[in-house]
Amino acid sequence: MAKLAITLEINRESHEALVEADRTLLDVLRSDLGLTGTKTNCLDAECGVCTVLVDGLAVNSCLYLAVAAQGRAITTIEGLAPAREGLAPAGAGLAADALHPLQQAFIDHGAVQCGYCIPGMILSAKAYLDEHPRPTEAQVREALAGNLCRCTGYQKIVDAVLAAADRMAAGTVAS
Amino acid sequence: MSVGTRVVGHSLPRIDAPGKVTGRAVYAADFALPGMLYGKVFRSTEPHARLVRLDTTHAAGMAGVRAVISAADVPDIRYGAAVRDEPVFASDIVRYVGQPVAAVAAVTLEAAEAALAAIEAVYEPLPPVLDLAAALAPGAPLVHEAWQSYTAIPILQRDGNVCNRARIMVGDVERGWAEADRVFEHRFTTAMVHQGYTEPRAAVAAWDSSGQVTVWSNTQLPFDVQAALADILAITSSKIRVIVPGIGGGFGGKLRIGVEHFAALLARKSGRPVKVMTTSEEELTAAYPRQGTVIELKTGVTRDGRLTARQGRIYFDTGAFAGSGPGVASVATLVLAGPYRTPNLHLEGYAVYTNKTNCGSYRAPSGPQANFAVESQMDIIADALGIDPLELRLRNIVHEGDEGPTGQVLSAVGLEECLRRAADAIGWPDRRPGPGRGKGLAIGWWTTTGGSSGVYVKINPDGTVALNTGAVEIGTAALTGAAQVLAEALGVDLADITVVSADTFSTPFDFGAQGSRTAFAVGNACRAAAAELSRKLLAQAAAQLGSPEEALTLRDKHVVGPSGRISLADLARQSQQAGGGMIAHGTFIAPGTAYDTKRVEGHVYPAFHSPSFHAHAVDLSVDEETGEVTIHKYVVAQDVGFALNPTYIEGQIEGGVAQGLGQTLSEEIVYRDGRVLNANLTDYKMPTTLDVPRIESILVEHPGQVGPFGAKGVGEPPNVEPPAAVANAIAAALGVRITSLPITAEKIVQATQGGAR
Repeated sequence: MAKLAITLEINRESHEALVEADRTLLDVLRSDLGLTGTKTNCLDAECGVCTVLVDGLAVNSCLYLAVAAQGRAITTIEGLAPAREGLAPAGAGLAADALHPLQQAFIDHGAVQCGYCIPGMILSAKAYLDEHPRPTEAQVREALAGNLCRCTGYQKIVDAVLAAADRMAAGTVAS
Repeated sequence: MSVGTRVVGHSLPRIDAPGKVTGRAVYAADFALPGMLYGKVFRSTEPHARLVRLDTTHAAGMAGVRAVISAADVPDIRYGAAVRDEPVFASDIVRYVGQPVAAVAAVTLEAAEAALAAIEAVYEPLPPVLDLAAALAPGAPLVHEAWQSYTAIPILQRDGNVCNRARIMVGDVERGWAEADRVFEHRFTTAMVHQGYTEPRAAVAAWDSSGQVTVWSNTQLPFDVQAALADILAITSSKIRVIVPGIGGGFGGKLRIGVEHFAALLARKSGRPVKVMTTSEEELTAAYPRQGTVIELKTGVTRDGRLTARQGRIYFDTGAFAGSGPGVASVATLVLAGPYRTPNLHLEGYAVYTNKTNCGSYRAPSGPQANFAVESQMDIIADALGIDPLELRLRNIVHEGDEGPTGQVLSAVGLEECLRRAADAIGWPDRRPGPGRGKGLAIGWWTTTGGSSGVYVKINPDGTVALNTGAVEIGTAALTGAAQVLAEALGVDLADITVVSADTFSTPFDFGAQGSRTAFAVGNACRAAAAELSRKLLAQAAAQLGSPEEALTLRDKHVVGPSGRISLADLARQSQQAGGGMIAHGTFIAPGTAYDTKRVEGHVYPAFHSPSFHAHAVDLSVDEETGEVTIHKYVVAQDVGFALNPTYIEGQIEGGVAQGLGQTLSEEIVYRDGRVLNANLTDYKMPTTLDVPRIESILVEHPGQVGPFGAKGVGEPPNVEPPAAVANAIAAALGVRITSLPITAEKIVQATQGGAR
């Protein structure tokens, strides 16, 4: 299959890639760009671990073609923390204030176990909170229903999202 | 929250959390090497057949294909934890749909998949053994004609399609029936279910020029995988390095070798690093799920509700190879006894071959199935005798100093407290609060698996502490718990500790992430290492502080004495200059649990070590029209001994219950004619945020004698009771008992309309 040169805007940076038309965004993120914070599992939009934001909307990147993401703003878990000068590079210990309120809340509420579903979970929550800053528990559960977690039973995840919503809505930290 | 401790007993955030919320944590599925190929496995399409022809020549010549291997390319060995019955690739006979027959490595995944499609296999069907009844029928075809030739653990009781019969015999059940006023007999069934970890099984293997292979995999047991690879690759184990970069859930499904051997064999053949990762379809057709079971349970009881005897048989459909079956069948007999005083027992667990995928271990193996039968029947008995189910249990539960079924003496028994507190929290005895609404109770006990653990602990020259362990952080935060134990003992903060783990070359041995043992065993190894470090630190500081060692203590990152103090950082720096660094090796092996050897037969797990006790209570409604179950409240009271980190213990309880609810209400790997009908995550229905209620955790603390600060294993227990608790509540709500898992809406509607029960 012929390859196409595409430009993707990922986490506020421009990336170029040479891809076949049938390559998924997930595959390009992980294999071509080394952004493995976006996870892979069912490849059929059933589990949600591959969730990323495209123009602010949560999508399953396993079924989203990379070519279709051109000209759109893509956010992965690596780009969620507020952009800051001098942000620690990958692998370094991040200072707590370099985390997004959702990331911090997931830590504070014990919402992380194996952690494999967490990037997708956090991005689904982010997309929802951006549209619904003061959700009820039922709304949070509805918003996260497409993200499977097998470790936590979801309770601490839901609590973390509600706490992050409070903090974000209080305006203490810009999202 | 613990009084008098600085670190243990406190809900501190797990030490690996930042990497997991930022996407920086690397899992095995993320791992890649330059020049890496992609491996795929060619699998049997027949449940039972003779492989008459396998032609890989076309596939081998395709563009991008670098290696094709089949039985002809690997040593003719069979492997297995209890029975060595499984070949790497089928050579003459295939025994389940999904059994590996060949494997390919290619420069892209697409090329590897194309090569699979070009492999030709011709089969001659043999009569398949499709379920337990067929396998156990007189004259049934044998899944393994040559079963007697296989090497196995010597004590196993094997016979044809039965790859173990484990037994507990106590007293005389005939006398027990004679003493009983009523004898109850029931049959229960449970379905095959998958662990449902979100990260597929994955491995990357690379050989170096000296003939050593390194395998990065998401195994729970790196040292076991190393040993299995030594057999399969026919090289010595020191030539095999297994590293676990990170693991996205396991729940027992990643205990045994899964894809590591395919990666290593393909890498050897191709001379390139190779990655093999499963698909969801492979997971649901060719992994190590929980065995489906049939359980026959007969219990005698006096009019006033005293248990006189129990006879139980649980049959495990263990699939085409023994896998964990022989051990699971053993453990099951302890669960069938229940945490009850019963003077006469005759309990049997059978692991049975069928032409299905090889079943394995899944969080509390055998626990949910056997407990479902025991605790369902306790409610049936209670109702028949007109005794409240709580009261019936209180009259029979074990207490401090009682004997377990095999004669072990029980200690730190927090069961009555768990039962009473769970019942209180759910609002017992108001068991039927309204139409279509009911409450259920279930209790159980479980083990803290032994095995040895070693750690190296080093004080760094800046005063921080490196914990080097062969254990795997499977996600429970068990290594955070162990690090809390270490921090407490050394007088440092949790934040001072970094963990290096799970590398068979550089980390000390650990029995692995199984059996609720990691925080327990690694925590104790940390205590031993801390004691050794303390001795060294105090000896080194004594002269400088001018005080005898007995007058010194470790506190606030210093050795503190009556005349002054000196920091751990200074002592570590001094040691680096003069003594090779401040380091200690701590080890732990759980002491054996004494039991009566005359009571058991074919039994590979005859006692529960540092047992935990627990009670679950649920309040739910059932819509009789639709069969929909709505859970209003779910309570777990679990005796954890000592809560090293309450938040993550709650996490274990919440997650274990959620997983248990899936097995109870919706999950089933559906086989028809030897083929799985629902090998995808839409039709294999795991609970979502909308299906799991809030769960109230009550942490009961009756400290054990062995675990760190009295801690007991906590990971598996919450998975044991959900099926029984929910089944009992549904029965209370409907007045109809459903005895087969999963309790789907369809079964509920059929039952309420007078159909199948």
